[in-house]
Order: sequence, then C-alpha cells, then structure tokens
Amino acid sequence: MSTTTGDMAGAPRLFTRKATGLVREGKTRDALFYNVMWSSVALTFAFYWLFIGFYPGSNALLGVAFAAILGVPGAFLYAMLTQVMPRTGGDYVFNSRALHPSIGFAANFSYCGWLALVFGLYSTYIASYGFGAFGRTMAGFTGSHGWLEFGEWFSTHWGLFITGSVVLLLSAALFAVGGTRLFFKIQVGAFALYVIGALLMPALVGLFQSHSGFIANFNSYAANLGTPHAYGKLVGSAQKAGFAPTKFSLEYSLRSVSVFWFIFGYIYASTYFAGEIRLQKRVHMKSMPGALLLVVVALFVMIPTFTHAASYTFNGMLGVAEPAAYGFASGAPAYPEIMGIASGSAVLGVIMIVGFTAGLLIWLPQTMILISRSMFAWSFDRIMPDKLSAIEPRSRSPLLAIAIVLVLAIGSTAIYAFTTWFSTLAILLGLTFTLLVTSISGMVLPFTQKAMVDASPYARKVMGIPLFTLVGGFSFLGFATAIFILLWDEGSGASLSKDPGKIELTGIVYAAGFAIYFIARAIRRTQGIDLSLAHRELPPE
Amino acid sequence: MALRLWRSRGSEGASKPLRIYYASDIHGSERLWRKFLNAAKVYEAPVIVMGGDVTGKAIVPLVEQPDGGYEMDLFGHRELLSGEEQVKDAETRIGANGMYPHKMDYEELAAVQAMSEQEREIWFADVMLLTFERWLTLADERLAGTQVRCFLMPGNDDPPGVDQAIERAVRVEACDDRIVEFEGHAMISLGYSNITPFHSPRELDEDELYRRVDALACQLDDPASAVFNLHVPPYDSTLDNAAELDGDLGVVMQGSEPKIIPVGSTAVRELIERYQPLLSLHGHVHESAGAKRIGRTLCINPGSDYHTGRIAGCLIALRGSDVRHQFVTG
Repeated sequence: MSTTTGDMAGAPRLFTRKATGLVREGKTRDALFYNVMWSSVALTFAFYWLFIGFYPGSNALLGVAFAAILGVPGAFLYAMLTQVMPRTGGDYVFNSRALHPSIGFAANFSYCGWLALVFGLYSTYIASYGFGAFGRTMAGFTGSHGWLEFGEWFSTHWGLFITGSVVLLLSAALFAVGGTRLFFKIQVGAFALYVIGALLMPALVGLFQSHSGFIANFNSYAANLGTPHAYGKLVGSAQKAGFAPTKFSLEYSLRSVSVFWFIFGYIYASTYFAGEIRLQKRVHMKSMPGALLLVVVALFVMIPTFTHAASYTFNGMLGVAEPAAYGFASGAPAYPEIMGIASGSAVLGVIMIVGFTAGLLIWLPQTMILISRSMFAWSFDRIMPDKLSAIEPRSRSPLLAIAIVLVLAIGSTAIYAFTTWFSTLAILLGLTFTLLVTSISGMVLPFTQKAMVDASPYARKVMGIPLFTLVGGFSFLGFATAIFILLWDEGSGASLSKDPGKIELTGIVYAAGFAIYFIARAIRRTQGIDLSLAHRELPPE
Repeated sequence: MALRLWRSRGSEGASKPLRIYYASDIHGSERLWRKFLNAAKVYEAPVIVMGGDVTGKAIVPLVEQPDGGYEMDLFGHRELLSGEEQVKDAETRIGANGMYPHKMDYEELAAVQAMSEQEREIWFADVMLLTFERWLTLADERLAGTQVRCFLMPGNDDPPGVDQAIERAVRVEACDDRIVEFEGHAMISLGYSNITPFHSPRELDEDELYRRVDALACQLDDPASAVFNLHVPPYDSTLDNAAELDGDLGVVMQGSEPKIIPVGSTAVRELIERYQPLLSLHGHVHESAGAKRIGRTLCINPGSDYHTGRIAGCLIALRGSDVRHQFVTG
C-alpha cells in the first residue's frame, strides 16, 4: 500500500508505494543479541582473573574502560560500512571494494585463519573449565573422589583433545542434521543459560556473599577435594612464589587491555549476516556501538561484585600459587567455579558452570557460520572453487565449507591440547591486523568509492574531513594502539620481547592470503575468468 | 577494455562465445541504470538483459520555499537546498538510492497527503513514469550506433504503464511474455512473480504462472539451447532464500537471526525441470545471489544491492551447449 512517513505538520516527507522489499527494519535487539553473544564476555572475564599474575596492580575497571575506548570508533566504523555495503562477507567486501580485491581477500583469509585457530582455545576451555570444573564442583560439594577423577581427566592432554574434538563434531553435525534452523533453536536456550548462569548469577552471589564467608566456603570446598585449611596453604604457596599485595599500577592496567581486547575488538559480528537481510541504519548503530556499551555495563557490574566476595588479592594469589598446594591439582579455578564456591551451593555452582560452558559452546557453531560465510563469498567471486559455496539442499548449509572449518578446528584443538605454541591471547594480533586494514578502507572510502559514500547517509563532512575518513582515522588509532599494547604486553603471547615469532607469523598468514589470491587469479585467467572484474566499478556516465 | 572471457574453451569449436550481461532489480536507481547501459561496452557484451523491477519504491518531495529554495527530508535529515547545484546534487543522491526526487509546493504536498491509497498509487505511477521515460531516452542515446541488443522487462514491482513505455523505446527491446531470438538462441521472458506478502502489481498464482510460461516454452524449436528469463527464481533452489515475514510484514526471527525460507516459484522450478533450457536468468530475491544447476540448466540470480550504488550482475558466455558465468559487481 502507499504510505507516507514523517510528521503531520505539512512538512516534506517520503512517499512509498506497493512493492516487495519494504520490510520493517530488523529489530535492534536481535543484532545486539548476536554481537553481545559472540564477544565472549564471560570467557574474557575468566581470562582476566586467571591471568592476573601477569598484571599485578592492574585495575579491571580501568582495563575495560581503556579497551572499550579503543574499540568505540571501530564499532561505529563497522556499523557505517555495514550500512553502505550490507553484503555477506563483512570486511572481505569492504576491503575488496575500498582498496583492492587482493587486499580484501588476504585480510579476510588472515582473519578466518586466526579465527580457525581460536577454535582450539574454546574447545579446550570447554573441556577444562566446563566439564572439568563441573566434575570438581561436584567433588567439592560432595567429597566424592570419583567426581574429582572425572573432572581431572578433562584437563589432561587427551582429555582436552578428545572433549574438544567431540564438541566440535557435534557443532558441525548441527548443520548437517538441521542446518542453521536447528542451530538457532538451540542457541536461544544456550544463550538464556549463559546470561543467567555466567553473568547474572555470579553478580548476585558476589553482591550478597562477604569475603570472609567466601574464604570459609573455599576451605570447606577444598577440604572435600582432600586439602584442609586450603586458604592458608594458598597464601603460603603464593608467598613462596614471590607474591605480595601490589599497589595500583597504571602501566599494568594499560597492559591488561590485551585481555579485554578479546571483547572489544570483535563486537561487530552482525556485519557478517547483514547481507542476508537489509537492516536499517539505526539497527547497526545501536547493535554495534550499543553492544559495546552493554558489555561495558555488564563488566562494570560483574567486576565489583566479584571482587566483593573474591578479592583482587585472593585472585592474585591464585594467579601465582601452585594449584596442587591448595587442593586444585588440575589447575586454578575460573570465576564460575569460584562463585560456585562463594555461593556454598552445588546447585548454584553447577548452574554457573553450565551457563559459562553454554557460552563457549554457542561460540563454536557461530564461528563455523562466520568462516563458512566468508568462504562462500570467496567462492562466489570465483577465487575459490564453486564447490566451496555449494549448499546442501536439505540442511541449506555449505557443508564442504563447514567440513573444512571442522578439520581446521580439530587441528587447532590438537595444538592447544598438546603444545604451548599459542597462548590464550596470541591470536588477537592476527585478528586485529585485519581490523587495521578495515580502518584504512574506512579512511579511503570517500575517495575510492566517492559515489557510494555520497549516496549514503554518511556523506557529510566534519571540519572539511569526510565522516568516513574521520571515523576510519579514529578506528585506525584505536586498532593501532591495541596492536601496540599486544606487542608491548608480555602477557599477550604476542609481545615483541617474548614472542617475536608471532608478528612474523601474522605477516606470513597475510602473505599467504595474497599468494592464494594471485594464484587463483592466474588459474582463473586460463579459464577465461578475470577475477579483477568482480569488484570493478562500472562508470555511470 | 580488453576482456578475455572463456578464451580457453576449445571443445565447442573455435567460434567466439556469445557474451551476455544480466542484471535485475535496480529499483529506480538511475545510477545503476546508467551503469547497466555502460556494461555492454565495458564487458564487451553484445547482449544485455535487465530482468525486471526497474522502477523505484519511494518519492522524496523537494518542497519549494518562499525564497526559491527547496526543503527535503532524506534519511531523516532535513536539508534546505539553495541554488541549482545543491538541488541537482540532492536529486542525484535521491536517485542513487532508488528514489524519485519530485519538486512540489506545499499545496501539492498537502493534496498528495490527503489522497486515498489508490489515488496515491496512480500519482506515484505518473511521477515514476516521467523518470522512466527519460531513462529510455537515455538508453536510445547511449546505444545509438552500436550493435548491442538491450532487452528489458518489468518485474513484479513495476506498475502498469512500464510495458507501454518500453514498447515505445527505440533501442530497448521489450521481451516480456514473448519469445525473442539472438545469435541462434531463443529467450522467453516473464516478469510476473508468484504471490508475495506485499501484493505487488504483477503477481500470479502458481498455476497461472505455469500456464503463461508453458505457453511460451512449448513454442520453442530447441528448448535445450534456449534461455529462460523469468523474474522469480525456482523454488528451493538456494537462489530464492529470503527472510520469512509475518502478517504485518515484520521479519520472523529465529534465535538471533532472521528465519530464512525459500520463496521462489514451484511453477518455475517445474518448467525448468521439464524443458531443461541451457540457461535460466532470475532476480526478485535480492539477498539470495548465486548459481545453481537444476539438471543441465544453469540458473543464475545475481542478487541486488541497488541502494549501495553498485550493480550486481552476471557475465554469461554461451557457446553451443557450453555456458559459463562470472558474477560482477560494477
């Protein structure tokens, strides 16, 4: 039907008519939900307390604030780029069009390569901090040696690998059996568990439990694991390892940005499904910067409530002490188990661990979708073989692409289970490098794609500088600062001082992307297909 | 520009392949129409086909002010335009987004606001046709003196009146609901879609859709070398996946993502399976670009990103029974 928009005061307005495609804009909360979910708030929160030994004197609230500030311009830039180029493939499309197809492919190939490596991190954390923590929690509340042995197996090399591989196989099987439809149904339930178990309940327990009450519960729990007076033993072991309460350190608060960058550098995931439905400007603006704001609020609630029960000092000692000394032989506990102990309830403890694990489990198929969609885009543009984008009719999933992701993910699980090649945060350097390239695309877009920008809602200039260039410039500063911190911080696993090989590896992966593109271009040329035409702009005049 | 498409294929003899450029669903974007016309030269395609949904969906009033300037509201931003250059720039921006700029005074604006839905549809069609006629004139100018065959049909979103305008064009050939021939290939076309939740101007139920296409297809001497140019893609072909809409045209969400369902035509699918043409060209579902074989038939939907100022198209080379494709975003 014909409709009008605008106020009723006789002011200019928009007249529309009967036509397909005039759908209501996608609800902001759906994209917001997606971005919040993929940014792994709970996992990152666990990282900070597990790695606090690397950041003595740091303040978590400051670390969150610094990381968020670095990520804010990027969130706006991704929202703007998604609005003007709402295609499946996200940065692959942005960089291919704004810079060059080879740069777009290499950057996206690099991003997907590093994402494939992150699978191992999640799958092994599911084993040790999901199933393993569940077994230990049951033992801690019941005194059952069987539960303890059950839990400890998941932290062995084979326990990590087998469990990680099984959950990956199950994630891939989701697509083979029921496609994305089944996945999304499961995702809803898993997300509810995640929010309740991993975010809300720990905050409530932390709010209502005192530190002394927590210590009493900790001793009781460890006694059931076979170690009486565990808190005293923790203090002794920590002191032996050189632990001493530290004053506030701005430097280490800055370094801790490495940890929180795990969230704020990657909170734009809805860009990858924007191509499947046209969403309006405000959806992206609210869902990307909005997700960032929501996560900051969540962390600003979680941090003080957590430290109310389990203090910085307690976690600092956990970070340096020998776990076996205080009864946690298979490793220091992550925050869900700590808050389970604080609650003094096996039921609440299990709910928190299940919620935390659900968050990790959601991430696996979600990331399979993201990578397989990128592969789809490469194949669509004929850089990769057609079969890579073939959709299996029954499940409507690109099964070959998912199978390739599965193989890579299991390989990554083996790396994390059996080696120490990559620390938890090491992958952030490679991932952030792609963001840096995207920020350059943002800066140059008004010049390389002038018409596209002129026709967009972001055509205006601020002090003579195109808005895209300005936001791209600030994004570049944010991403470059994050890279600087990753290279500076010895706890990042990618520092120049301790891990110089990681920056070389980042370069090698990127170079491999370029090599693949130009090899593909040469092969396609023999078939009469010119890959450079895929994104070449036709002149309108 | 030198373009060496499909040069290595020797199995079908040494003859040069026929290159076709296909695009669809530009929805009123003048920029994309201009690009479409230039595609023939840039891609060295002697046949270009526009598969429907060429007209826009919205009119942006430029309301005349007492000082001679204009006021407009684009993307929620109200702008005051003064001088010819600013007005022209605004018209370009509006057109690039698939909308029609329309100068009017407050009196006319009030009159349009007071119209019934039916009256406004008629007013809209009149405004739209003025622009569309200009597009066809532009095509006549651009294609004059070339050997390019330019085929154009309306799609389900295009209102009545578009057909007649195309018929009147000199260098643009109407192809809807008929058989046309080029370089030994016959092409049958139909711009109607199956029933959509939008109740757009050209929709048919599946039985009628089947009957209309079948009436053309059964006249083909050699269906195996034919091209089907049917706006709506075949059902459940992966070229027809779109977000499911509820009765209020809201997107149905499944978890955190839109629920995607096949929305293509079962009639089109049956006809492709029955006649097995060489190539089948489709549009309609913007978000479901791709290529899919149904039996021996290569089915193409290049999708559409019309509001980005880039035209999603596909280059297709036909040589005997050999057909190859490459998606291009120009």
